[in-house]
Amino acid sequence: MRRILTALLLLALAGCAQVSPWERDILAKREMQLDGAPLDAAFDDHIYFSKEASSGGRGFGGGGCGCN
Amino acid sequence: MADNDKRLGVALAAATCALLGSAKSPPAAAADDDDRWEIESALLYYGESDDRVQDASLSVNAKRDFGDGKALDFSITADTLSGASPSGAIALDGPQTFTSPSGDKVYTTPGGEIPLDDTFLDTRYAVTANWTQPFAGLYTVSAGASFSDEYDYTHAGGNVRLTRDFNHRNTTLSAALAYSQDESDPVGGVPVGLSRMPDVDDLSNRGGSETKDIVDVVVGVAQVINRTTVVRVNYSFSDSSGYLNDPYKFMSVVDPVTGDTIARTPPPGERGPSGIYRFDNRPDLRTKHGLYAEARTWLGGKVLNVSYRYMTDDWEIDSHTLEARLRWPIGGTSYIEPHLRYYTQTAAEFYRMSLVDGEPLPQYASADYRLAEFGGITAGVKFGHETAGGNEFSIRLEYYQQSGNVADSLLIGNQFNRETSADLNAIIAQFSYRFRF
Repeated sequence: MRRILTALLLLALAGCAQVSPWERDILAKREMQLDGAPLDAAFDDHIYFSKEASSGGRGFGGGGCGCN
Repeated sequence: MADNDKRLGVALAAATCALLGSAKSPPAAAADDDDRWEIESALLYYGESDDRVQDASLSVNAKRDFGDGKALDFSITADTLSGASPSGAIALDGPQTFTSPSGDKVYTTPGGEIPLDDTFLDTRYAVTANWTQPFAGLYTVSAGASFSDEYDYTHAGGNVRLTRDFNHRNTTLSAALAYSQDESDPVGGVPVGLSRMPDVDDLSNRGGSETKDIVDVVVGVAQVINRTTVVRVNYSFSDSSGYLNDPYKFMSVVDPVTGDTIARTPPPGERGPSGIYRFDNRPDLRTKHGLYAEARTWLGGKVLNVSYRYMTDDWEIDSHTLEARLRWPIGGTSYIEPHLRYYTQTAAEFYRMSLVDGEPLPQYASADYRLAEFGGITAGVKFGHETAGGNEFSIRLEYYQQSGNVADSLLIGNQFNRETSADLNAIIAQFSYRFRF
């Protein structure tokens, strides 16, 4: 079942426009990277983990502190 | 404590050197990206109004690219934290006295305000390390470890992540697994759930230290849509088991009609609480599910980044988070990036304002404001500038505000006329410097 779903997903995604390696000038820029600001993200995850009941989503749940 | 101060001093000095040491680094343009360290260092200040939590944090992230996609990453963070935090007790018209978490003294809070516990002061160190490497053409594997230590809490964890590219690398599927074990070890031991706050020097309701295990799984897909847009969607699962209480939070036990805390007087010659309070007690299991979606798009030099997260768990907390950033270039080397974040959550099923005197104790109960229904808004701006040598400094300034909403069904008598949620206003200020050598 999982294999079928994965295959279907890949098929659907293959329908998106294909961007060739030589067309990746913009996508290669740092500001276009999905995890381009790791330190800001780590600070934010830590702050919101300490102050809100939900955490994670983008990556792991964060934590590792007995935050008050 | 002196030992702790010394360690903090060393960590702060090391991080400051890293923050400043970049002036000597050669221009980035002169060499390629491989075989060099990229260092990102940052100093963060987080400060809440009304003398609540203040945190100063230094963090250094070092990454070395060995070429062919192999990279080593590690980070070190030192935090120092002080200030007051809502204890969970309700506001009364007059002052209230509580036994401190360490059990060796009392503190008193003024009437008419939500009681805050101002006895905490902590220093925390955290390190992470991660290795990434591609294999078999389209796969990448990474493995990492994390460790953190503070006065009353220790965390140790490990994680692995596997990704595979498809469709000429326009699609990336990823799966990641993390496991961590944390230990809570407050001074005097953790209080037994729902036990009464005792007088000073009475540790009869305390146990030793307690642990919890957390398993996280994240599976996701990242997709290039066209030359200027990339999106990703993640599903996350998290399972926590073990000690999930907050050892410092407690609840007022109140009169069923007036809603005021039941008063008590410590025995002659003893110091102790001025009312009846009982400690937090949560289930020892929590399972969370999350869905996260993010898009990043290039708009003729500007970059728009939007994300949405939905989370739900078996404590009946559901949350929605919406976030947007717009990176706006100024000239060729600077940018300004406004940021907005909106968050809302429902209350945990066992959240309550107070316990009612004379009623049987519930199995689980907590008055921790973080388990209440509330909304949060963050608004901020970041300014960044790239130097001629290819290094970048940035300054970020944000304002975070939380406001709670306590359902009428949770209130009794006089509680309707008093402050019910300790709303939070905080400033986040960050200075970062990124360089290579």
